[in-house]
Amino acid sequence: MVLPPVAVVAVFIGLPVGAAIAYTLGKTGGPNSTVALFAQRQHVAHHGVTLGAYREVLGNAHVRTDLWATVWVTLVTVVCVVLLSWAIGLYLRLSDTWIARVVSALSVVPLFIPVVIASYAILTFYAATGFMKTLAYHVGWHSFPTLGYTLTAVVIGEVWVNVPFGVLMMSSGLNSVPNALIEAARDSGASLPRTVRSVLLPMNVIPTVIVATFTGIYVLGSFTVPYLTGPSAPNLMGVSMQQFFGSFNQPQQAEVMAMIVFVLAAGIGTIYVWANVRASKRASSTT
Amino acid sequence: MSAVEHQGVALGDLEQAELPVARANRRRRPTVRSIGFHALGIVLVAALLLFMIGPLLWLMLRAFSGLWQFPQFLPSHWTLQWWRSVFDDKSLGNSMKLSFEFAPIVTFASAAICLPAAYAFSRLNFPGRRVLLVSLFATNAFPKIGLYISMAGVFYSLNLMGTFLGVVVVQLIGTIVFMTWIPTAAFSSIPRSLEEAARDVGAGPLRVFFRVTFPLAAPGIFVAMILSFLAAFDEAQGTFLVGIPNYITMPTEMYTLVLNYPEQAAAVFSILLAIPSVVLMSFARKHVMGGKLAEGFQIR
Repeated sequence: MVLPPVAVVAVFIGLPVGAAIAYTLGKTGGPNSTVALFAQRQHVAHHGVTLGAYREVLGNAHVRTDLWATVWVTLVTVVCVVLLSWAIGLYLRLSDTWIARVVSALSVVPLFIPVVIASYAILTFYAATGFMKTLAYHVGWHSFPTLGYTLTAVVIGEVWVNVPFGVLMMSSGLNSVPNALIEAARDSGASLPRTVRSVLLPMNVIPTVIVATFTGIYVLGSFTVPYLTGPSAPNLMGVSMQQFFGSFNQPQQAEVMAMIVFVLAAGIGTIYVWANVRASKRASSTT
Repeated sequence: MSAVEHQGVALGDLEQAELPVARANRRRRPTVRSIGFHALGIVLVAALLLFMIGPLLWLMLRAFSGLWQFPQFLPSHWTLQWWRSVFDDKSLGNSMKLSFEFAPIVTFASAAICLPAAYAFSRLNFPGRRVLLVSLFATNAFPKIGLYISMAGVFYSLNLMGTFLGVVVVQLIGTIVFMTWIPTAAFSSIPRSLEEAARDVGAGPLRVFFRVTFPLAAPGIFVAMILSFLAAFDEAQGTFLVGIPNYITMPTEMYTLVLNYPEQAAAVFSILLAIPSVVLMSFARKHVMGGKLAEGFQIR
């Protein structure tokens, strides 16, 4: 009974990823034979493997700036999402007023909106004739930058999309910190910041790591947000990957970029696993 | 890829019993009641209104604007003509039809593939159970666009590029985690004693399943189906890669719309595209907001 979904994953994820690894190393046979028929600028290994495709892609200055743009946008987005969802999660943990209910409702709005629409809405909001420019104009700030089609707009879009997940994770994590611990800290005279630093922060490490890793992987694999809101160059690897595949007809180069992104994501994934293992070790040593 | 799809990762243990700590916490929470803290909340609300809601409202206004010049906050002339032009456009109508064909097909295909597995994961203890359950997570552990590029390369050999089935497969990939993890948790939350009791009074295994197990798991399955439907309906980047030029669904149509149509038409189309998400997510909202997310993520 468990076979069908496992088979789907094996055939449509395992096989393509395996084939893509082989293809980027110059193996054009088997499942890669059809794509290899029309691909331009292929690096083919007749014996063993070749790193030619990797050398070409990493030697391309445009791809390198895209790579740095990707790393930069990913890092900034992760930091923003973690800080924002911590702030909102903390507020929700320590408040039970109508304000908290409004904050909680507003912070999950992106769940309801398709990403394509969100990206387009964000583009127009920060465009040269958008709301932010209009507002800045009326308060006399005429030099307010046009953010549409910049990497900043990409960051704004990625943060917008990822905040609900962050808030849901953080508030769930913070809610599982026993009230008694918070009260004990406050009763013994700890200030609010101190309580956060020495009680809530250490008890909410894992949700924080989860939010950071999943946001990071999401940004690395995103196409819609950077495609619609970002500049034509440099943009994120997702966009250039699609261009190499579709417009330039260079699937091998596109797949090399996919591999680079997988490696970055694997690095992030390792942090996630490491944090989990460490936490479960600590849990088993204390109980 | 939709936000929902990405969040779906977290929903695994949604239906499971709430942690006692969380339940106790809800009863009497320590709260901060200083004026400064409330003021901070108001600032937070204002910032969220601007950052989260602002772009959506700004886009909605655009759908009704005849003339709107910088730096005015509102259009100086209102019109409904863009709605007419979108409804009259044949290719846009076609993409709407396609979207409403793909999403249900993908949802039911995903249910047929995953629900039996979900039942097995929850009721049978077999070697490698945990490994297999986690392996399905591969669909969400890869950066999506990289995965789609790899899939597209092999799809040429499988004759799936530009085909209906190819698009179904790409969209299906994004629903697998929802369709296995949430129903697995739903089945697991049903006490076995209920099924045993039914069997004791003489019900056969099929009858037990359809009269006892399935009705109790139905809400969880329903949520999984809503989230899968939306994941398929909102999927843009994989469909774009695999489906063009034959299959342009609503979200993929947005890519061209933004570049080649007047802004107002794109705004109208955005509103139309958002309606199914808003309506269906409202049904699933209670479950998504449940707040038992963190546990599902911890590897044990």
